[in-house]
Amino acid sequence: MQKELEALRHAIENTPIDSEEAAETFRIRFLGQRSGQITHLFKRIREVPPEERPRIGQQLNALKRLAEQRLEEARARLRQAARPRTEVPDLTLPGRRAFTGSLHPLTQTLEAIVRVFEQLGFSVAEGPEIEDDWHNFTALNFPPDHPARDMQDTFFLRQGASYRDAVVLRTHTSPVQIRVMEQTPPPIRIIAPGRVYRNEAVSYKSFCLFHQVEGLYVDHNVSMGDLKQVLYLFARALFGEDVRMRFRPSFFPFTEPSAEVDIWWPLPDHPEGGQWMEILGCGMVHPNVFRAVGIDPERYTGYAFGMGVERIAMLRYGIEDIRLFYENDLRFLEQF
Amino acid sequence: MKLSYRWLQQYIELDLSPAELAEALIGLGLEVEEVEPLGTDLRGVVIGQVLEVRPHPNADRLTLCRVDLGDGAPVSIVCGAPNVAAGQKVAVATPGTTLLLTDREGNRQHVTIRKTKIRGEVSEGMICAEDELGLSDDHSGILVLPDDLPVGQPFTEYLYRQGLKVPDYRLEVSLTPNRADAASHIGVARDLSALLDRPLQRPDVSVPEAGGEVARQVQVTIDAPEACPRYVALLVRNVQIGPSPLWLRQRLAAIGLRSINNVVDVTNYVLHECGQPLHAFDFDRLVGGRIHVRWAHTGEQFTTLDGKTRQLPEGALLICDAERPVALAGIMGGENSEVTEATTNILIESAYFDPATIRRTAKALGLQTDSSYRFERGVDAGMQRWAAARAAQLIVEVAGGEIVPGVVDVQMRRFEPRTVTLRLPRLARVLGTDIPTAEVIRILHRLGFAPTLEEQRLRCTVPLHRPDVTEEIDLIEEVARVHGYDRLPMPDAFTVPARVPAEPPAQALRRRVRTLLAGMGLREIYTNSLLPREVVRHFVPTNVTDHQNTAAYLVETLNPISAEMAVLRPSLLPGLVQTAVYNQNRGQQVLRFFEFGRVFMRTDRTDTPVPGFAEHEALIIGLSGPHAPEGWDVTPRLTDFFDLKGLIETLLDTLHLNDRIALVPCDSPAPTASYQMNLVADGRVLGTLARLSDTLQATYELRAPLYYAELNWEAFAELAYPAQQHRYHPFSRFPEVDRDLAVLVDRDQPVGPLLETIRQTGGDLLRYVGVFDLYEGERIPVGKKSVAFSLRFGADRTLTDEEVDAHVAAIVQQLQQQFGAQLRR
Repeated sequence: MQKELEALRHAIENTPIDSEEAAETFRIRFLGQRSGQITHLFKRIREVPPEERPRIGQQLNALKRLAEQRLEEARARLRQAARPRTEVPDLTLPGRRAFTGSLHPLTQTLEAIVRVFEQLGFSVAEGPEIEDDWHNFTALNFPPDHPARDMQDTFFLRQGASYRDAVVLRTHTSPVQIRVMEQTPPPIRIIAPGRVYRNEAVSYKSFCLFHQVEGLYVDHNVSMGDLKQVLYLFARALFGEDVRMRFRPSFFPFTEPSAEVDIWWPLPDHPEGGQWMEILGCGMVHPNVFRAVGIDPERYTGYAFGMGVERIAMLRYGIEDIRLFYENDLRFLEQF
Repeated sequence: MKLSYRWLQQYIELDLSPAELAEALIGLGLEVEEVEPLGTDLRGVVIGQVLEVRPHPNADRLTLCRVDLGDGAPVSIVCGAPNVAAGQKVAVATPGTTLLLTDREGNRQHVTIRKTKIRGEVSEGMICAEDELGLSDDHSGILVLPDDLPVGQPFTEYLYRQGLKVPDYRLEVSLTPNRADAASHIGVARDLSALLDRPLQRPDVSVPEAGGEVARQVQVTIDAPEACPRYVALLVRNVQIGPSPLWLRQRLAAIGLRSINNVVDVTNYVLHECGQPLHAFDFDRLVGGRIHVRWAHTGEQFTTLDGKTRQLPEGALLICDAERPVALAGIMGGENSEVTEATTNILIESAYFDPATIRRTAKALGLQTDSSYRFERGVDAGMQRWAAARAAQLIVEVAGGEIVPGVVDVQMRRFEPRTVTLRLPRLARVLGTDIPTAEVIRILHRLGFAPTLEEQRLRCTVPLHRPDVTEEIDLIEEVARVHGYDRLPMPDAFTVPARVPAEPPAQALRRRVRTLLAGMGLREIYTNSLLPREVVRHFVPTNVTDHQNTAAYLVETLNPISAEMAVLRPSLLPGLVQTAVYNQNRGQQVLRFFEFGRVFMRTDRTDTPVPGFAEHEALIIGLSGPHAPEGWDVTPRLTDFFDLKGLIETLLDTLHLNDRIALVPCDSPAPTASYQMNLVADGRVLGTLARLSDTLQATYELRAPLYYAELNWEAFAELAYPAQQHRYHPFSRFPEVDRDLAVLVDRDQPVGPLLETIRQTGGDLLRYVGVFDLYEGERIPVGKKSVAFSLRFGADRTLTDEEVDAHVAAIVQQLQQQFGAQLRR
């Protein structure tokens, strides 16, 4: 009996199961209810002396588990092998896409400018595009006969008996300075982005409207050194750490001293290797502006600056015709 | 304004190169836009004598000259000038000389003269005209020199003896309106004298005392004292009108002026020297030897010396003789009294005219002259007598004659220098640095402010050439610009305020929504806020009969430069439609846009920033064309209303606004819409969703329908902003149960009310309801449609089938009762 058991173990362990048919043959041969070899030996257990029967019984049970285990493993392996393989599609076909959207280059430029100043503690203020004479001119120290009040330069919406009755499309974002200072006591640190208008013939370099970002800082002891510093920080943030910048004296009615700021723009084809490009105007808030809004110019000083968004966008992207911004040609927009 | 580099050197010792000079002037606030060389150093140009002239055998217009250059070996030179003749002394550019020459296209180039053959004849140099030497623009013939010049001498020595150095450079300067004082060579030299701390060298002029013989010969009366507070007149008799000498022609040519005659050239020269405009009258043509300053009469005409008869605007100022106008004050002289070749006696006018008067008249006539340019900025009110005397002296020098002693000087108003005090601590506070007091004093002194130090203050007397300086801050600017903006130090640290800046709701949300919309495949556009009237007419019909006439609420510009910019947009829709058409006509099919921008209306309200006008920010979204990009297994259909509605719903969902804003069909769509839904919150309409009207689609020849949504962005943001600070709600972790439900209803039954009923009946347990199918046709009775809903139920416990079934049954019952819906099994 012991010999038969050894032979059976050897047969169970070494009978190959390499197909579903072989598995079934294996099951019938060893585990079959009627003629399976293990079943057969169970039936013959009576031939063994009673004292050996438990040991033989255990061995037979172990053989049965072994056969079942082999069969289960083989079947799992066969199922695995029989499962169909994932087909590889033509990976070079184009993907199914959604439409691409984009932000206008002026938005991107304006946001880039505003973000720098927000990081420097400026909050955003906005004002109306329709302005009265007071906010657009008089409070900003424009004399009554200043050329900007002329019909040739400014869009008028209403004209009254006096120049003070005029309503215009704002010619700059500086009126936001006035509106903020009229409502808020110092310290004031704001940035005012917005659309402005000029009654000019449309050409590649001028449009009837454009966008400006205005800045204003009013507090005790604000100096021109502070103004230079903030604009230098700005220029480095927007144009790179090694930007070259130049402050030169200029004139605006609402600031004094006034300056224009140029940055050096490298141009490989230029005989001098580049040229100075004006990017903004700035200066110390004129005492008359403070007086107009009821801030004491002896107690407070301040600076203001203003820049053209189109101009900076044209520099950043190498755009040479300002009209492209308002044409909204998709072939232009999709590049941003 | 143009400056000559060499001319400036007459008034200040200047060792800066032209490029360095330009940098220095820019640093002073005088913006140099261009520096242009006017010639070369003329090394190699010598004085020669033409010995013989004969025709060129092979060219009609050329001559062959034999020219003695003083070395005993006359050379042969081919010359094209009409005026060349034997015996003349001429300037000859010998081989190797580099000149700045103008080519046929008008471009100026450096050319080196070489020994060459011209049409077969040897030419060993060039006989030069003035333009070739960089002395003027005259190319009418060769420059013929005085007979007494030694042959063989370098030409530059001859120039040098007349005070001319070569090469000269022309600087184009753009003056800011406050710098009237710098509108002349002496004015610019004054700034340089402060920058370089060197003395200003003004020419010596003996200025006569008022009165004298001339006062007996000329009578001046002023009837417009506010416009002409000062009038100075001088007489020079027995002049010989003729061409100006080379030095004078060179100076004027260097700043782009044409030479007229010696007397007129002198007046122009003095204007550009000291900034005081002068006018020379032919004294014998002034009736009665009188000058009378008065306002122009209404409708008066006057012929200026350019030969044009001009209708004078109101407020024009005239210089008249005893009978008639002879000059348009401060702008241009008259034809009837101008200096001609026959003139022998000259009256020199040197006046101060009110800037605003001149500016208005010049502008009204569209006539800007070198004279008006200076008067309208404000000339030095103390300069008139000096300038007249300087001109008289120069006229005698170049045109002979004698100055009648004395001067007429009528002053209707005294110009007294102002006193302005500069506090040194204030200077330091504004500039953020301490500039040494000695330097401050030096700068103000050189600029003519005669500062005197009293403790920490500088008392300054503002010279009359600085009408722009009226208060302390003006002096601070003077010090700052001469000290140098680039030298002002920047603080080491940057201070930020002790509070985090707040972001206005409209802006915070705009940033977010912009990004969302771009992510949804829309292109942001910027359109013109100014629209042509006929475009607006398409969108805002003027014959609206049902309610008020909206056209009356349009904001129009009073003075558009073109009809293209007549009306401020009342809506962003015209810009969107124009953008869609523009791109469609350039072959684009995918038209998906959005824009943020302001729209404008007139209003009766007075609480707007500018009473009578209202504006707000709007957002427009537009979709047209295929609903999705084409693909190998995607066949796009045309975008329809539900693409737009879904986009808006997704947007509202993202912003947590779906339960605050409802989309409601609108029974009376705007004239621009075929049909329309409104975005409504608390009974207020925040915006619309619509299909563009068939009329507009046809008018603009849009091939595919356009769907648009326009929102009042400010109102929307106000509502939406608080919703962004929402609280978290615990969610149920128990499984949810899905059920589908299909009902038959009448074909024209809107689905919205069914959904509403389902929601109400489903109560708290109904977590979601959607429409997953809509069907009519086969197997559906005629006049009916099938609507299939997917429902999802959930609670804070496990729902039983019975509970869910009961809810579904209740829903079915309500749908039956309210809409006659039949359950489809």
